[in-house]
Amino acid sequence: MNIKGLVSDIQDCYLLSIRGILGIFRRPFYFKDTIEQMDYAGAGSFLIIFLVSLFIGMALSLQLSAELSRLGLKMYTGKVVGISIIREVGPVTAALVFSGRVGAGMASELGSMILGHQIDSLRVFGVDPIKKLVTPRILSAVIMLPALTLMGDAVSLFGAYYIAVFVSHQSGYFYWSSIKDILNFENVLAGSIKPFIFGYLIACISCYMGFSTKGGAVGLRKSTTRAVVMSIIMIIISDFILTRILLYVLGFSV
Amino acid sequence: MIVFDNICFSYGTRQVLKDISFSIESNERVAILGGSGEGKTTILKLIVGLIKPDSGRIGIDKVDITDKTEDELREVRKKFSIVFQEGALFDSLNVKENVAFCLREYTKMSEEEIEEKVGKLLRKVGVEQAMQLMPDELSGGMHRRVAVARSLAVYEPRMFLYDEPTAGLDPVNAENICNLIVDLSKGGIGHVVVTHKVVDALRVVDRFMFLQNGVMIFDGNSYGLMHSAIPEIQIFISELNFNSKENRQFV
Repeated sequence: MNIKGLVSDIQDCYLLSIRGILGIFRRPFYFKDTIEQMDYAGAGSFLIIFLVSLFIGMALSLQLSAELSRLGLKMYTGKVVGISIIREVGPVTAALVFSGRVGAGMASELGSMILGHQIDSLRVFGVDPIKKLVTPRILSAVIMLPALTLMGDAVSLFGAYYIAVFVSHQSGYFYWSSIKDILNFENVLAGSIKPFIFGYLIACISCYMGFSTKGGAVGLRKSTTRAVVMSIIMIIISDFILTRILLYVLGFSV
Repeated sequence: MIVFDNICFSYGTRQVLKDISFSIESNERVAILGGSGEGKTTILKLIVGLIKPDSGRIGIDKVDITDKTEDELREVRKKFSIVFQEGALFDSLNVKENVAFCLREYTKMSEEEIEEKVGKLLRKVGVEQAMQLMPDELSGGMHRRVAVARSLAVYEPRMFLYDEPTAGLDPVNAENICNLIVDLSKGGIGHVVVTHKVVDALRVVDRFMFLQNGVMIFDGNSYGLMHSAIPEIQIFISELNFNSKENRQFV
């Protein structure tokens, strides 16, 4: 891709993301479509995020227990695992899984509609495709990803608890009191802002990639792949930027 | 009704239309012929403002629509009923919901009224039995018929636009679609049919345009088309079976 194409893509994606979010405030409101998308994004992703979060929590707890016990600090497992999960691992893991499942689904669905002239049909009927298709997807991602992250965090903490108590033989009471200690305003805020941003990015990038599909089945494959790859890259980059900003705003010294 | 004035259009670096100019009245029955990739569908998309030309002006009912915004084009699009290639039905909705789409979008009709109107439209195009089927369960001909019914749901169009209405259909279904196109044009409603099948075009239109390498190389009636000395047109009309009584009457 040349520089001109890249700049044009970024500009178009930016415009789509702005128009998509502004669609929330303009009539007509597509409640039914939004609920359908929330069901697809939320209920459909519940099990996969549950499983991924559970095993990530368990693996993280295993690794940290092993390392901390060598330093004689095994009792801090809960604290370190809790901070890692709530601030960083939970939101990022949920977002990556979400982009792979929901983002790819959005891109392929919209891409297929583009190739089948269904988007042209909508425009001919006077329906704004961004309002009808993008706004409900942005809304569903922005609502459901934080909810899924919250659930994923809780499951990860339970997974980590299981390893800490039944494998690493630590005190369950001490584990939960460590978790309680770290559930302060700063940590919860740091962990709960990210999923909103990630959800917005995933929906905008995936919808844009879907809308820019051309070239039949191969084009659809490319746009779906690009949607997932770009979402993952943007999640990781924005995670770093958000972490930097939040640490600064919340007064943490690095 | 439709005026194209020196229209040029490119997809990337490939120029599809080169200085195309023509005008079509609302009661005319026109076919745009040409090979694949010659820009036939592009002309339909330009008429309803789905794409913008690189240069030139497009007028609909003496109003220049070339630089109109998506919101402003909504009024222009109400004048047309467009049926895309293969129907372009919404594949997540069944036939009833496809036809009811615009009714739900733009009217406050009750469920009973919608059901009644959808039934009436599907009867008009002869596929009322398919009301509960999904688009992937329909045959090619039924697809186009449902698309026609859907395009008639809300507005009374002043002109129909058909993109390859008979492509991929067997002769019986193709004839049915042609008959439907002719039926719908009764009462002075014109249509523009984009096709590469001269046989079907002869059944439904009186005026023919022929695109070759982005240039309009022919614009005339069936007699002119059949007697054209242009080699590309001769190749196209060679598909006609001159032994057929029906085709012979046009020659």
